[in-house]
Amino acid sequence: MKKRLAIVGNGMAAGRLLDDLFRRNAGARFDVTVFGEEAHGCYNRILLGRIIGGSTTDDILTKPRAWYADRGVAFHSDTRVTRLDTAARKLVTAAGAEFAFDACVLATGSAPFVPPLDNLKGADDCPKVGAFLFRTVDDCERIRTYARPASTAVVLGGGLLGLEAAKALSDLGLHVTVVHLPEWLMNLQVDRLGGEFVRRAVEKLGIFVRTGVAATGIVGETKVEGVTLKTGEILSADMLVIAAGIRPRTDVAVASNVPVKRGIVVNDLLATAVPGVYAVGECAEHNGTVYGIVPPIWEQCETLADLLTGANPTARYRGSKLYTKLKVAGVDVSSMGLVEPQFDTDEVLQVIEDRRGIYRKLIVRDGKLVGGVTVGDGDAAPALARWFDRADPLPANRLDVLCSGDISPAAADPEICNCHHVSASTLMAAIADGCTTLPALSAATKAGTGCGSCRGQLANLILKTAKTAAV
Amino acid sequence: MLCSLRERSSDADPLAERAEHFRLGVSVLSLPLSPPDLAFRTHCPYCAFQCGIRMDDTVADEARRIQGDPHFPVNNGQLCIKGWTSSALLRHPARLLSPLVRDSRSQPLREATWDEALDRIADAMRRTRDKHGADANGVFGSGALTNEKAYLLGKFARVALGTANIDYNGRYCMSSAAAGANRAFGIDRGMPFPVSDIEHAAVVVLVGANCADTLPPIMQWFDRQKRQGGRLVVLDPRRTATAKVADLHLAVTPGTDLALANGLLYLLIEEGHLNAEYVARRTVGFEAARATALGYHPAHVERLTGVPEAAMRQLVRWMAAAPSCMILSGRGAEQHSKGVDTVHAWINLALALGLPGKPYSGWACLTGQGNGQGGREHGQKADQLPGYQLIENPVHRERVAAVWGVPAESLPRKGLSAYELLDAVGGAVKSLFVMGSNVAVASPDTTRIIGRLKSSDFLAVCDAFPNDTTALADVVLPVYQWAEEDGTMTNFEGRVIRRRQTTRPPRGPRGDLDILRELADRLGHGERFAFRTAGEVFAEFRRATAGGPADYSGISYEKIDAGDGVFWPCPTEDHPGTPHLFADRFHHADGKAKFFAVEHRPGGDAPDAEFPYLFTTGRYKEHYNSGAQTRHVPRLTDAQPLPRLQLHPTVAHRHRILTDTLVSLESRRGRAEFTADVTADIRPDTLFAPFHWGGRQAANVLTGSALDPVSRMPEFKLAAVRIVAGPEGSK
Repeated sequence: MKKRLAIVGNGMAAGRLLDDLFRRNAGARFDVTVFGEEAHGCYNRILLGRIIGGSTTDDILTKPRAWYADRGVAFHSDTRVTRLDTAARKLVTAAGAEFAFDACVLATGSAPFVPPLDNLKGADDCPKVGAFLFRTVDDCERIRTYARPASTAVVLGGGLLGLEAAKALSDLGLHVTVVHLPEWLMNLQVDRLGGEFVRRAVEKLGIFVRTGVAATGIVGETKVEGVTLKTGEILSADMLVIAAGIRPRTDVAVASNVPVKRGIVVNDLLATAVPGVYAVGECAEHNGTVYGIVPPIWEQCETLADLLTGANPTARYRGSKLYTKLKVAGVDVSSMGLVEPQFDTDEVLQVIEDRRGIYRKLIVRDGKLVGGVTVGDGDAAPALARWFDRADPLPANRLDVLCSGDISPAAADPEICNCHHVSASTLMAAIADGCTTLPALSAATKAGTGCGSCRGQLANLILKTAKTAAV
Repeated sequence: MLCSLRERSSDADPLAERAEHFRLGVSVLSLPLSPPDLAFRTHCPYCAFQCGIRMDDTVADEARRIQGDPHFPVNNGQLCIKGWTSSALLRHPARLLSPLVRDSRSQPLREATWDEALDRIADAMRRTRDKHGADANGVFGSGALTNEKAYLLGKFARVALGTANIDYNGRYCMSSAAAGANRAFGIDRGMPFPVSDIEHAAVVVLVGANCADTLPPIMQWFDRQKRQGGRLVVLDPRRTATAKVADLHLAVTPGTDLALANGLLYLLIEEGHLNAEYVARRTVGFEAARATALGYHPAHVERLTGVPEAAMRQLVRWMAAAPSCMILSGRGAEQHSKGVDTVHAWINLALALGLPGKPYSGWACLTGQGNGQGGREHGQKADQLPGYQLIENPVHRERVAAVWGVPAESLPRKGLSAYELLDAVGGAVKSLFVMGSNVAVASPDTTRIIGRLKSSDFLAVCDAFPNDTTALADVVLPVYQWAEEDGTMTNFEGRVIRRRQTTRPPRGPRGDLDILRELADRLGHGERFAFRTAGEVFAEFRRATAGGPADYSGISYEKIDAGDGVFWPCPTEDHPGTPHLFADRFHHADGKAKFFAVEHRPGGDAPDAEFPYLFTTGRYKEHYNSGAQTRHVPRLTDAQPLPRLQLHPTVAHRHRILTDTLVSLESRRGRAEFTADVTADIRPDTLFAPFHWGGRQAANVLTGSALDPVSRMPEFKLAAVRIVAGPEGSK
């Protein structure tokens, strides 16, 4: 008899978990049911900015309805789960329907954080016309429909999401101002100097940036007409996009008496304290950390799938190393581990190329890379990520890790004949000694008498070297 | 940055250059020409390129006895160092000339008569069958055998022994590419086009292939391609000889080729290069592959592969803009526990760009072993019957059984794959008969396999030279070498060619076909193996392939002689052969190619704090496979006497290792010792050693036994190791 597995939520974590489960043949063990609040199958939320730019939901959809049907997964879209009856092992939807389960995974994700703003909501207690969140496909479609060239937009939040929304709106031809409460952009990923470099890149795109200032309220009776700032200024705006961060969605867990701190508390098995109830993704808190980026969440899903299917009963999630790399407003930003040193003994390296807009910072502890920030230089990131992930001891000269290419450029004296291992310098010396025909050169050096594939190169070398000699 | 871009010079005038070359005496026809005389024309004994050679046995000077055949349109007269020294093996003093037997495992091998040796093998086979059942007899073949031998060995196992357990070392070589191609295209022919098509490809992407060292004469085709303005891209964790001539080298982390291909598919879709018309008309399954690729955001792929996003975008743009583009796959991408999925990922990319079937374009794999192609088509694989027919397919069973004159239900079912077969020795498999493979060096986790071979009831080996496997055998049969007998081979293009007898064999050894006939006779099946020549075997063999995917039934020795070989499929006498596949349709019933949605996964042996480095293996230009042949050629061992461990200067510095000092490596399975070669031509997280040596220098002592779930390919190209500085025992 198959067990019943309920997954609450249908975002990226749920999608990944489904993939991982079915890769481990979960269909033989479980009847899986998925509850999603949105109308669509699972999509890639990272690509939401594309929807503002004109892409369709299908372009970013990772699981069409057929995917669920093909695997016998019962998929309830447009369905909000309100609570679990953990004793009876049932869940209850907003519509009052009940579903029994043997195991339940909470993958409820996050909700946008909305800072307190005066006059945000209209008479119907919903955000006013012209005020938008930036979280779902529907949000983005509404933003695209509302945005008009030459209108003005204020984006609240200058982190990853906010800058992405600002770029998408700017690309549509709007006048965009980013209002960010912390003192520099992307303050979670980069330090103050890095934030300055990001700001310069963003401003180069024609986007205005206000940092260190709070938005206090909305101007406009029926729709957004402007945004008031703590300084007393009023920015006139036709639309407001709120992208000021996310908060774990724990409402279902709270209503079900599943322990919650900042997120739903899970152990190394991704299990909550309530038997049969698990949590993964942005809603879960593991060892004091709530993760909001993709790779750790995938690692969680893999572990949970290993455990639920029995594919690897000893699988444990031990936490993830934080690594983010993205293009923000056309500029490459990478961030890993620490952004600031923690101890006096931590080494800090900063390489600043002011005119080129490139900033690199490394934090080294015990000879190993424990943190790094790059802005404006995408190519350095993969090698830094390797030092960071593997925790290999760094070279004595720390700057070596920033050199282009671990792999050396062409040797100064390349080997021309690979069969007899004859180098270019040997050949050039022989040519200078008078071996100016191929047979003579081959006789003197043996080059070209093996597989013969270097003969063309030998001939070119004779032409080049002999020519130099003639001049 | 882990890639290098080279500017291409556009100032060279190819015509003027050619004129100068002519003046200087360089041309492909620089070798002395004589009218092509079939009696002298044969093919090199080594790799799947199967260079045409002219061998004149009357020439006393060994160095001149073998020349490249300027009339064979694959190598055009070029040979690599292995080829032009290959006659050194024929009259080599180390050669086995007499059958050897061992009276007990504790006694040494002694010389014996052929009758005694053959009787012993036949007796052991019969005893094994009577005591433990037919499947307790194992047979292990080789990708070096001619088509005739591969066919007859398969028939011997199924008819004379009645065992399901036959497989061959090609499982270690081509099985992932073969499985991927079969599933995606419905057919597995290494290259769906002749090698000469490379010249006209605007972009060639080599995935995990170092052909400058593995198939050296192929480089002439890349040279020609580049002279026409084509671009060459190489993906390899090392800056190999091949990578050094590339326009773009992506130093990908070992074991992440799949993630890279999916990442490229992501970028290809994002940048709008999808060939939607082709995908709709000629393929199925794209939606699932697309949805999967959406998870391969460049940031994620960069971290996994170490390849910068900028380089990935460059590659995608080159591939998309090119009028023709080839993806050529090598063992570096395939010899993994996710080898088949990796092959699918690259085929997906090729299909998304609409390459397969387009002129000078498509996905192909570069076959390794001499008859790696023919060897995998004719029934020495556990799941196959001749002509690439399947042993579990009732129609195929019926067809082949009719040719063999036996009832279809008498044919065994699918047996164990190569590694599983060897690993079962001493267990379910009691007796093993090996033909042409040095399994004690070429298998992964060799310590374990050698233990298995020692626990067998009986081991018989047919080989021309003593090697690590013959050292364990109860009976060793000395056999003819390449130039001493006739037969056909199928090269990496799917071109069936003739290997001719061009020298007289020494006294003592016999041909493999004779051995099979003699054994079958002793087992009471003489009438079904009464072939006196390879030609007679071929006559039956081609009938047995009729109707199969690899249909040879229209091929004859005369037809091969009349042209430069014949490309299969060739179903009728008047059929010209098939140089190009896929122009109109793929070989699934619906005529369409299939996308497979595949995901990256870690290898079977992931690095950790204890075993922190990625270890990968490969080849030297001077040696071939386990070195059983090439390590007997003085000019090759002079040029490359030792296996050298490549390691990056930062690693060398960390462990205080200097070039030319001895370094021991340990994996979870064993320890091996190499001479250090400190070089910045390798990633700092990766170590490399060639696998041509045995004993303490055996790279495959380190590699693992994780198998691909589909192809059963062992994970040769990825193992986690640690460095134990200094030679064993000294520290």
